[in-house]
Amino acid sequence: MKVLVRITDNNTIIDCTGDVDLYSSPQLREKLLESMRGANSRVLVNMSGVSYIDSSGIATLVEGLQLSQKTRTRFGLFGLRSNARSVLELARLNKVFAIFDNEQEALEKISSTEPFSGLA
Amino acid sequence: MSSSVRTLRIEISSEPRLLHVLRGVVKYRAKQAGFSDSDADCLAMAISEAASNVIRHTLGNRHDDRFALEVNTYPDRMEFILEDTGPKVQPESIRPRALEDVRPGGLGTYFIKCFVDASSYDESFPNGNRLKLVKYLSPKVADRHESAGPDHG
Repeated sequence: MKVLVRITDNNTIIDCTGDVDLYSSPQLREKLLESMRGANSRVLVNMSGVSYIDSSGIATLVEGLQLSQKTRTRFGLFGLRSNARSVLELARLNKVFAIFDNEQEALEKISSTEPFSGLA
Repeated sequence: MSSSVRTLRIEISSEPRLLHVLRGVVKYRAKQAGFSDSDADCLAMAISEAASNVIRHTLGNRHDDRFALEVNTYPDRMEFILEDTGPKVQPESIRPRALEDVRPGGLGTYFIKCFVDASSYDESFPNGNRLKLVKYLSPKVADRHESAGPDHG
C-alpha cells in the first residue's frame, strides 16, 4: 500500500493506494492521525486506489472519525470502489462517514456537511 | 478422505504482509470451485480476517510464528481450516460488536459471519486451535451444531 499526503489550501488529502489490511493499516493510521492534528481543518481520504479494505482498515477510518470530533476537523472519504463501499455498507458505516464520489465533489461539499454527525 | 475432495494445505509465516498471499490463494481456489468473483472476494476477506485474528490475538502479534491453512473443495462446498499453535481460544467469549456501537475494532467477527455459512472450533485439536469455516456453493442452512463468530475483533 502507498499513502501520500497532499496539502491544498485548507485541505489535507490522503491518497491511499493498494490493500488496506492488518499489515498496511498502521501506515494509513499514522498519516491520518497526523493530519487530524495538523493545521488544516478539512481532511479527506482518497480511496480511489484502494483495492481491498478489511476490518483493521475500517477501524483506522473510525478512529480518524473519532479524532476529527475532538479536533473539530471535517473528515470525509471519496472515490470508493464498489468493494470498499460494500464493506462500509455491510458495517452500516456508510451513513456515519461523509462519502463523496470524487475529489471535486468532496472539496465542494465537505465544508457544507454537518461535521461529526456520525458519532454520538 | 473422499476422492471427490480436493485439498490444498499451506503453512505460512505469521507476518501480516503475507495476508495478501492467503487472499490470493482463497480467491483462486474459490473461483475454481465455481464461486462468483464477488463471492470469491468475500471468502478471501473472511479467511483473511480469521488469519488476522490468529496473528493478532492467538499468536499475540508474534510475526516469527507460523500457522496453516487447509482448503478442502467438495462438490457442494468449500471448507477452510486454520490451524495455529497458540493458546486455546474460548469460542463462547467471541462475539461481534453491535453495529450501532461505532468504535474502532470488533468488525472482523461480523464480516466472517456475513461471508461464511458455518464455523466451528475443533475442541479435540491437541495443541493450539483448529478453526473450520464452511461456505456452500448454493445457499444452505448451516448445521445447528456449528456456530458463526470465530474471531476477536
